[in-house]
Amino acid sequence: MTLKVGDIKQYLYCPRIIYYTYVAPVDRKVTPKMVYGKEEHIEFERLERRRTLRAYRLAEGERRFRTPLESPRLGLRGVLDMHVVTSLGCLPVEVKYTASRPGLNHKYQLVAYAMLLEDAYGKPVRHGYLYLIPSKNVYVVEITPNARAFVRRMLLQIADLIRRETFPPATRRAGRCVDCEYRRFCGDVV
Amino acid sequence: MYFLTDEERKHLLKGLLPRSRDQGVADELRGWNWSQPPLSPVYDMPLAIYEVAGAYCPTNRDLYLRRVERVRPKPSPAMARGSALHAALVHVLVAAKRLIYAHGVDNYQEIFRSLQELVPLSIEPYTRDLAPTEAESLRQKALIIHDFERARIIARIQEILTKHPYIGEDSLVSLALPVVVEQKLDGSFLGLSANLSTDAFTFCEPMILDLKFGEPRKFHRLQTTGYALVMEAIYEFPVNLGCLVYAEFRGNRLIIKKDLHVIDDELRQWFIEARDEKARMIYEEIDPGVAEECHPACYCYQVCHR
Ligand code: SF4
Repeated sequence: MTLKVGDIKQYLYCPRIIYYTYVAPVDRKVTPKMVYGKEEHIEFERLERRRTLRAYRLAEGERRFRTPLESPRLGLRGVLDMHVVTSLGCLPVEVKYTASRPGLNHKYQLVAYAMLLEDAYGKPVRHGYLYLIPSKNVYVVEITPNARAFVRRMLLQIADLIRRETFPPATRRAGRCVDCEYRRFCGDVV
Repeated sequence: MYFLTDEERKHLLKGLLPRSRDQGVADELRGWNWSQPPLSPVYDMPLAIYEVAGAYCPTNRDLYLRRVERVRPKPSPAMARGSALHAALVHVLVAAKRLIYAHGVDNYQEIFRSLQELVPLSIEPYTRDLAPTEAESLRQKALIIHDFERARIIARIQEILTKHPYIGEDSLVSLALPVVVEQKLDGSFLGLSANLSTDAFTFCEPMILDLKFGEPRKFHRLQTTGYALVMEAIYEFPVNLGCLVYAEFRGNRLIIKKDLHVIDDELRQWFIEARDEKARMIYEEIDPGVAEECHPACYCYQVCHR
């Protein structure tokens, strides 16, 4: 089975989303937030093509946008927002629309993309970037061995959840349920 | 044994320290956020750090037996050895601090003389269940640690005294012996025991140290992680670094290796997951079953395989 990088984000948000996606699929509504996010990504790409690489502290490099990546070895696929190919290797950039600091879900998505890039280019990736659209802040994220191991373990946990078809407990952060598109399918949350 | 060599210091200052500061840690995984998930405990089941961090038994049945079945197997020889050697080290460190305060900087020669004459800790209480040859070997090892640490401390005091002509006792202690041994901590914010004790803690750059006398294992880093989280919860300052000190005896020689590490997001999440899983196992009284591959030296072996 091949998982999507986006599944990592969903799993970290609430494991039940994985259940609703793979085990007992339900219809989810496309929210205005999702449409808006897509538009922001297009605008990011338009502006990014004209910018220098200074925000990434790089002197040279070629940007590549919306690259589909897949690794049968990892059982993972995804479309990477952008990556920069330099003479010293390539660096993933994940674009996020969030006003707060990047969260762990963003971090591990980026690590997963770094692992996919490594397979695609056959070279190690030492770090990547999280670009936050509203603030235009760029966060450097080191791709550490522990972070890779964590992503691998998470992929196993997701695959396990799907295989066993167990309905997982809801996230412990009740605040997330309020905003969740799947809330009406969970009978036991506030 | 807790003092870093020049190479280790360099590795710390040029490698780990800047990396730990750059890398950052997700705020939700800082100990001071103990009141919110994922750090807030799910079960009212306080655990000791070694109980969360220990993974010698693949199924954690040792913990189940102790906490649910109330089985009290005798500590294994390895456990007795670890406690005795650790105590031997603490004995020298604390005595050295005491001597500096007692004699004062001006009587530094008296400090050295008293340190040279310091009687090693009696490890008899730890040898009760050991065979005579094992007990003797442990005595020898404790002596090696005693001599090694004493020599290092004397050298450190001498070095500091040559550098700082106006130094006082308190400053000499903090420069020559910048570790607090067996610092007591209350881990109840994080669903841990209220009576925790770190092997050692350095305060120049907050770092948790843990002394081990066995083979290095990956999960040993959970031990430093747990204490870092507790320190953050109590004192509200970041603790980003851990150091596992592995001591090994080759004949009469003491070999020391250190595993300096950043207490990163992943270690923190691993610790929290282990805490929740183990607390649940005890709370719900779930017997995880006998492991497929048990180490014959496991102190619960007799109970599980009778
Ligand atoms: S004997 Fe085996 S199952 Fe029992 S506690 Fe030890 S390792 Fe675990």
